[in-house]
Amino acid sequence: MTAIEENTRVGGDLLADALRQFEVERFLTNEAALLDAHRYADWVQLFSDDTHYFMPIRRTRLRKQVSQEFTKPGEMAFFDDNKDILLARVAKLATGAAWAEDPPSRTRHVITNVRVVEDDGQELEVHSNFILYRTRLKSEETTWIGSRQDLLRRHEGSFLIARRHILLEQTVLLSQNLSNFF
Amino acid sequence: MTVVDNLSEMVSLERGEVDRRIFSDPEIFELEMKTIFARSWLFLCHESQIPKKGDFFEAPMGRDNVLVVRQRDGGIKALLNTCAHRGNAVCRAEEGNAKNFMCTYHGWTYDIGGKLVGVPGLEELYHNELDTTKIGLRSVAQLDTYKGFVFATHDPEAPPLHDFLGRTGRLGLEYIVAQGDMEIVPGIQKFVIPCNWKFAVDNLFDWYHPQITHLSAFQTGMVPSPPDITGKRMNTASVADQEGTELQLPGGVVGGDAGDQLVFIDAYGHAISGPTVEALGDFGGLVDNSWRDRPDVVEALGPMSRRSLGHANIFPTCWITPPFNQISLRIPRGPMETEIWWFSFIRKDLPPEHRAMAISGAIHSFGPAGLLEQEDGENWAQSTLQTLGAASSKVPQLLTMNLSRGKVVHDDDDLDPPYIECSINEHGQLWTYLAWVQWLKGGSWAELQERTSPPDVL
Repeated sequence: MTAIEENTRVGGDLLADALRQFEVERFLTNEAALLDAHRYADWVQLFSDDTHYFMPIRRTRLRKQVSQEFTKPGEMAFFDDNKDILLARVAKLATGAAWAEDPPSRTRHVITNVRVVEDDGQELEVHSNFILYRTRLKSEETTWIGSRQDLLRRHEGSFLIARRHILLEQTVLLSQNLSNFF
Repeated sequence: MTVVDNLSEMVSLERGEVDRRIFSDPEIFELEMKTIFARSWLFLCHESQIPKKGDFFEAPMGRDNVLVVRQRDGGIKALLNTCAHRGNAVCRAEEGNAKNFMCTYHGWTYDIGGKLVGVPGLEELYHNELDTTKIGLRSVAQLDTYKGFVFATHDPEAPPLHDFLGRTGRLGLEYIVAQGDMEIVPGIQKFVIPCNWKFAVDNLFDWYHPQITHLSAFQTGMVPSPPDITGKRMNTASVADQEGTELQLPGGVVGGDAGDQLVFIDAYGHAISGPTVEALGDFGGLVDNSWRDRPDVVEALGPMSRRSLGHANIFPTCWITPPFNQISLRIPRGPMETEIWWFSFIRKDLPPEHRAMAISGAIHSFGPAGLLEQEDGENWAQSTLQTLGAASSKVPQLLTMNLSRGKVVHDDDDLDPPYIECSINEHGQLWTYLAWVQWLKGGSWAELQERTSPPDVL
């Protein structure tokens, strides 16, 4: 069955899919709202204790070698965080001395193209696209566009993010830092 | 009078001042491209990045892009990534493996040694009159390696790499290679900061800024605070933010003439600056200093050299930082645009757990999301931006900390490069700018070496 056929099916399964889609999208948009409101302490609670927050380095490769464009865990990355490091990043922003975010960046997360790729009942593989738009100071402007591959674990009527892989559509990072969350 | 006509006035050793216009003036930038980046030996990559025949890595040399390619005979060539026909880049990938480099414009094809091996219509259109033996991808003028680190220069007159590096440049690399057999960790972090490259280089010698710029990183406890060997803090009376909150510094300070810092300065502008092993210790268990006492290291490196945990800069922009064995290039792309590239190395024989710790240390300290380096970019970008102002550009850049207090020791035994024992200082930065002026003035390599010979006092 093709993906399009699957999406045009009628009946009980479609309704269940729609409800699950709603649950997932509600979770992801609420999560994004926390980030844009700078509520990082609340945001980081959405991650499981065993989470892995990972943004690999991407390299321009020839088409035949494009399977090697991203670095893997165990190699260099931009983010390769466990929960402790995520908590430290949040704590850092709360010190009052994190100058790269003071004055704070204005950010807007647009989360879209949300797809539940796998669901074993307990954990869902969810892929989404994002636009993270940032302005700083008077005229600094950065746009990051990419995709996220999340493992969402069902937890107390909602989800925990048990893994987030962030794939940017950039090789040379076109910004002076990554002081915001994706 | 333009800035380039007035080079001698740009840096003052007597006053410890630098003219701010050098950080954004387009003519200065053009002169730098010609007198520094078209001339100096420049770091390209590590041999372990291109282990197999045909492996390549594209590296910048000024505004030239070169393909560093492993050859069939195991050697390495660095070829200008520009077709001999119309100049198109013959390779558009940052790294990979190639059997040939074929230009996508007209199909001219070069082998991995740069030899022109294929031209469409060679017979029909060129009547076999094109001398393909004379047309190929041009090589750099000289290429050499120092224990796995690949360097090249566009200048056929440049002294051999070994001599160019001198004791200080070689010492900087030894802080990585002397530990054991090293290899690259895959993935070069690359990002862009809207700043002048010299601000990014100057900063690597700056052991004054961490407690302020990186205060928040230390406060998280994830990055070890600066050492507290005296229990004294920098006096921060009246150092307060805009709400009036005084900064509480996390680490100690050694002032006066006490020597918790070592600075090495050398010909061509190379320098190493930073704390001693005794002062920084093992950086909260993150740094293994035991290699420094190995008999072969004691034999090879002088007693002062073995004591330094400082940051090295191989002039102009190759920063070697020992804690996590990284090299950072500060690549000038324009007067107000600099790319930062981070290469990370690791000992091949490390057990998996230590390997993971070392890589984590690198990722979480430096790079654009590093807990430390996140804060650096905006300082340099804003410093660069302010140099454009007609009035602001007239405010001199100050490098007066411990000025004229740095007694340079020229070791009679020739074991250590010229060095200064001192507290936190701005000698490394000042030495870089003093040498920078001499590069811009040009002259022969012998003259340049003579004019950048370390003085007795900085």
